[in-house]
Amino acid sequence: MTPDMELALPARAENIAIVRHALGAFAEAYAISESKLSDIRLAVTEACANVVVHAYPDGEEGEMEVLASMQDGELIVRVRDWGHGIRPRPDSPGLGLGLSLIAALAETVQLGQDEQEHTEVMMTFSLEDEPPSMNGAGS
Amino acid sequence: MSGPIVGEPEQTRERTVVTRLRVANALLRPVLSRVVSMVLTRADWPLDRMEEALLVCDALCAHAPACAPAELPTFSVQADEDQAELFVSDLGAGGAERLLADCTLPLVGNVLERLADSVGLESDGGEGPRLAVALKSASPS
Repeated sequence: MTPDMELALPARAENIAIVRHALGAFAEAYAISESKLSDIRLAVTEACANVVVHAYPDGEEGEMEVLASMQDGELIVRVRDWGHGIRPRPDSPGLGLGLSLIAALAETVQLGQDEQEHTEVMMTFSLEDEPPSMNGAGS
Repeated sequence: MSGPIVGEPEQTRERTVVTRLRVANALLRPVLSRVVSMVLTRADWPLDRMEEALLVCDALCAHAPACAPAELPTFSVQADEDQAELFVSDLGAGGAERLLADCTLPLVGNVLERLADSVGLESDGGEGPRLAVALKSASPS
């Protein structure tokens, strides 16, 4: 299925702001509420931050990719990278709360690899109380 | 004695790049304009020139979907404090030429050529050429 939005950028911390803005425009077009958008942004920010911090160690350059689709009253967001995959990292600079936070904010979270072996975090956000297609955006 | 002043802003700024943006046609205008605004804001562009860049985006959003009937057009953006480049690809055979031609308004002329510093078609190895639009942060004289 072709995603409604596909955004690829270098995996740098400053680029997470671009992802957040793009999601904001996406959410406005679908009339997603500000509170729901806050949850979505926070979860996606965490997933992108994981890519920035963990996917490409030792100064390696790489990309992160964010795909968003609206399907059956749910927003599905995939955050992908071409890095080293999800693995334990004892020297992690973070608090280790990222995935727990994502799990708390999203209805479902799946970690793994897609068919092209990208590392992928797939998050589903229920918008049942938020009718889509309100600002002229089709689903 | 000379040396770095504590708190002095970093003078060298990395080029901001959005490698690929593909958006459903109904979402294209809001998403592209937000992404381009963000990229140019980070590059410290003046507001008047940013508005002109957004007019370029509006023109592209209005016509690109019709010029890419087979799939969604792909946008990429890169900018620094001096120049921004916007590329539209995956337009299919003849799509880039048509997109450039369609951005023409009566009594105004070609919007892209009026607002941008350079507009052209270039090969990206795909089926057809991509449209390349470059703007400088200082208005053309």
